[in-house]
Amino acid sequence: MDHNNNIDFKDLWKKQTVSQPNIEDLLARLKQFKKAGLRNLWITNILLFATCVFIVSVWFYYQPEFISTKIGIVLAILAMVIYLGFYNRLASTYKNIDATQTNQEYLQKLILIKRKQQFMQSTLLSLYFVLLGVGICFYLYEYTLKMTILWAVFTYGITLLWMGFNWFYIRPKQIKKQQSKIDELIAKFEDVNNQLQS
Amino acid sequence: MVFRTIKQFYKILRMEFEEIYKTYWDRIFRLCMGFVNDYAIAQDLAQETFVIVWQKLDTFRNESSIGTWIFRIASNNCLRQIEKDKRFLKSDLPINLTEEKQQSLEPQIQFLYKCIAELPETERIIISLELEDIKQAEIAKIVGLSEANTRVKIHRIKEKLTQKFKENGPQ
Repeated sequence: MDHNNNIDFKDLWKKQTVSQPNIEDLLARLKQFKKAGLRNLWITNILLFATCVFIVSVWFYYQPEFISTKIGIVLAILAMVIYLGFYNRLASTYKNIDATQTNQEYLQKLILIKRKQQFMQSTLLSLYFVLLGVGICFYLYEYTLKMTILWAVFTYGITLLWMGFNWFYIRPKQIKKQQSKIDELIAKFEDVNNQLQS
Repeated sequence: MVFRTIKQFYKILRMEFEEIYKTYWDRIFRLCMGFVNDYAIAQDLAQETFVIVWQKLDTFRNESSIGTWIFRIASNNCLRQIEKDKRFLKSDLPINLTEEKQQSLEPQIQFLYKCIAELPETERIIISLELEDIKQAEIAKIVGLSEANTRVKIHRIKEKLTQKFKENGPQ
């Protein structure tokens, strides 16, 4: 076959030892496979949903009088709903990516998904922090009015300090950590995709 | 009545799947092995492929041949492995776990798989399919290239392999 050098690659290729696992083992693995992918999705959903329920129950229980308090609550919930909505949609695209396309189409889909993930972990994460921060500031207003000036300044001071810490320390760190991983993957997938163009 | 029909449908599907599993396991395993050159990971990738095949079997329409369909799933799954690979490298797993199994293999076979796994990703897939005796028109359909382009690529990859065997191949 490979007459130029008498090496029969096909023959060598097929001599690889292969052991076929039991079909029952394979089907048992199916269940494991389904479970593993969903765990993170469930945890995030439950946590954010529980927080939303908690915030809403605060509204009903304490009956805030000011519109600013209500706006604050709505903004905080909006932040979580937007993030969750995007996260769930991305997870479902990722899970349902059609594996029966050509390699080229499949690679392009993978790149697209990674780009969306990149957007989620940078722009959307920042939006989440801004909405949540503004929401909390609005929410606090009604209650700080009932305090003495000193306590009100102290409360806002501590809150803003905490938000600043999140915005200037936690957020960039989080973005940097995940971004370099995703950037690397996008570059790799693009490199593989380019192999097909040349 | 409906329940019985569903049960029957499942039974037919299951029989069909078993047939596919018997026919294609070896071929899919070798494709994965050519991609990663690691017995345990290849076994995992092949299993994942068949899990997807089982999940998607009822959506298969005879637009393409079943072989093309399965090889597309398998090669795409190999490409997705790139993502896991990154995670894999970061956690320090013992590397010598799978080495023992391969020692009994003839050095020439081992060398061939090693050379293939060192090629660029898409070339690994293309040459593996070629060595599985899949028609070039089918390979083009799996990878998403034109037939002419596929032919050129196969030719080049074979040249590369021959070269490697000439230079460092075991006698």
